[in-house]
Amino acid sequence: MKLRNPYLRENITGYLFILPQFLLFLLFIVYPIIEGIRLSFYKVQYQKETFVGFDNYATLFSDPVFFKSIVNTVIFVVFIVLLTVVFSLFVASAVFDKNAKYVSFIRGSYYIPVMVSMVVMSMVWSFLLSPANGLISYMAREMDLSVVNLLGNKNTVLPVIIFVTFATNVGQAIILYIASMIGVPKDLFEAAEVDGASRLKVIFQILIPLVKPTTIYITIVNIIAVLKIFVVIQLLTGGGPNNASVTMMYYLYNNAFKFNQLGVASAVGVIMFIITMLLSVPQLRSMFKDK
Amino acid sequence: MLKKRSWQMSFIFVLILALVVGCSSNGGNTNGESPDTNGASGSSKESVEISVWLTPQWKGVLEATEEGADYDSFFKHAAEKFTAQYDKYNAKINVEVIAGDQRDELLNVNLSGGTPPDVFFESVFAMGDYAHRGALLPLTDLVDAEARGDIAEGYWENVTFGDDVYFYPFSHNPGTFAYNADMFKAAGLESFIGGETEIKTWTLAEYEQILDGLKNNLPKDQYSNAYPMALYALNNQGDTWNLAYLRMFGNPFFDENGNIVLDDEKGVKAAEWLKKMYDGGYTNPGAESVSSNDANAMFQNQQLAISFTNAVLFNNAKADMESGKAPKFDIRLANIPSEGGDPLTFTYVVGASAFKTGDAKREEVAKDFIKFFSTDPELVKSSKNSVPVRSSVANEYKDQYPLFEAYDKNSAYMFAFTGNVPGYSELRQVLFPELQAMYVNEKTPAEAVKDYQTKGNEVIASAKENSTIMK
Repeated sequence: MKLRNPYLRENITGYLFILPQFLLFLLFIVYPIIEGIRLSFYKVQYQKETFVGFDNYATLFSDPVFFKSIVNTVIFVVFIVLLTVVFSLFVASAVFDKNAKYVSFIRGSYYIPVMVSMVVMSMVWSFLLSPANGLISYMAREMDLSVVNLLGNKNTVLPVIIFVTFATNVGQAIILYIASMIGVPKDLFEAAEVDGASRLKVIFQILIPLVKPTTIYITIVNIIAVLKIFVVIQLLTGGGPNNASVTMMYYLYNNAFKFNQLGVASAVGVIMFIITMLLSVPQLRSMFKDK
Repeated sequence: MLKKRSWQMSFIFVLILALVVGCSSNGGNTNGESPDTNGASGSSKESVEISVWLTPQWKGVLEATEEGADYDSFFKHAAEKFTAQYDKYNAKINVEVIAGDQRDELLNVNLSGGTPPDVFFESVFAMGDYAHRGALLPLTDLVDAEARGDIAEGYWENVTFGDDVYFYPFSHNPGTFAYNADMFKAAGLESFIGGETEIKTWTLAEYEQILDGLKNNLPKDQYSNAYPMALYALNNQGDTWNLAYLRMFGNPFFDENGNIVLDDEKGVKAAEWLKKMYDGGYTNPGAESVSSNDANAMFQNQQLAISFTNAVLFNNAKADMESGKAPKFDIRLANIPSEGGDPLTFTYVVGASAFKTGDAKREEVAKDFIKFFSTDPELVKSSKNSVPVRSSVANEYKDQYPLFEAYDKNSAYMFAFTGNVPGYSELRQVLFPELQAMYVNEKTPAEAVKDYQTKGNEVIASAKENSTIMK
């Protein structure tokens, strides 16, 4: 077999090397996406599937809980991602140039919650927040305050979930930022010092612009992760009170596995896929452009 | 150079080939039949492997005190006994216990993936939907005249959908209140305490008096952080008690067409009563984010004086007290009161069903196994761990378990809480958000009841359309 095309001859080895991974990608990523899109147009029952066109989407858009789930998901994405980026930038820029042992200690202490399973974290928080016999309500009672039920109040349930998720995930971003800041060339800081720049100026004019690729990466990864927020909701609130903390992923899960509406669940999946694409593509593009 | 490249390419091709072969071969055949190659046994029977799933029911084969007693002990023992005497195939039975609140998730995933369990042992009310969806095998041919005679008609009605029986009734599990008689005494409520083997019936007025006494007179030094009554609405677990409360003022809940008719004066009054109890501090706080599991734990820790229970939970609570796992107190049973005076009682019929797996041999073994453990004279005795559906077993144990008689007396007041409507699993998901909205003041009791009825009837209507039985 002789390859006539010089371009192909040049690159065939490379293509062959990525072929195994590409096959797995087709099988486990692309195929499920296509299958999900197909199912979103069907009513799936045990033993038969009926084509229903856009009925599943119509069902979704007539359900106020679905809209609530979109709003909640957007709130989670905006606040958790913002908090994560701002807080981890703050911590990383404060410690990155201190001595190595100190940096390791800070890194380690923020990273421990990342290593603990989200399920375990949720259970600990559930114990702390339980209105009937949790630690927080016990302390409130001891101080003669009224009953505290942060998870049963629709005004406090979202902030609590935002805090719990943020506290569990922020370690990852801090590690990435510290690594990225340590990699910034030292002569830039020295030059700034010679010019008499304050630390704030160094951070805002040198450090933050130079770690921009890390910021974009952290933002994209967190947006995608938070769009899929599920475990905390399932274990802490069950979507309550009265659907006040339902997210798109939780809504999808309920439809797929509790209500057995696979078609509707697939339609939610397709909408989530589109939202994720819309949010990530511009950022990915800017990341590649910078390089 | 060219030689080197061709070597590289052949190597990559071999790699890919290995990968593709590795992925594609050895599919299936992990659960199912295989020709018997067991020469040692000298048997020519074919091997058939089936899986049996159950949610936690009782521990041990006959007694929870047996050594190593666990939720799967009974089925492991039954499987051993069954395979020893079974002559059609070499049967292998794998028993798996799954969490009750994960049941629908696990079943739906496995049904979609084409790998349902062969046998499922669970309360019938939670499984009726699968019969409607056409996922279960009819078991009518397993039921003989002897079984019809030994098990009362009421139980057969519970397990019959359309013309067919889909569950073989094994035991039943009546739902009642459990109360802490020690706390009653401490609050000066001795006169309301029933006998040890009695299921006490209070009128609604008496019940309110009890709650009031518990709220105001329970000594704080002895029972700190304790509340009169359990109330929960975090999820659908234990929702049958919430359904019972909604019938307290005489609302029939379903009409003759299987539609919800809660939205009338009596239904609203019941919801208002719940809200009044909650706001008045007669229940644990935070009902909207407390689950029935939390409530049960609080009751066992003596933080609640009255809580929900069923026969199995009651026996387990007593066993926990005996073994020192939970604080010991005088635990007794009472009925859910109603304004009319008659108690509100219901029961969960528990039994086995067989899923359509599409494999005739596995389906045959599954049905044979169900018939075996549901009729074997020794094995059916284990139904005494909740309440036997068989009169023969109930009679045999009635002296040892005087509560069987009390449960039997209660059966005159029983209501069918599912109304045998299709879509019951999804219907359960509609109730608790409305109760939450009511407890957090987002909706008035009347609004919550109205919205529940509207949403619930939508669920029932769409499930009726999809039911394979109702067509």
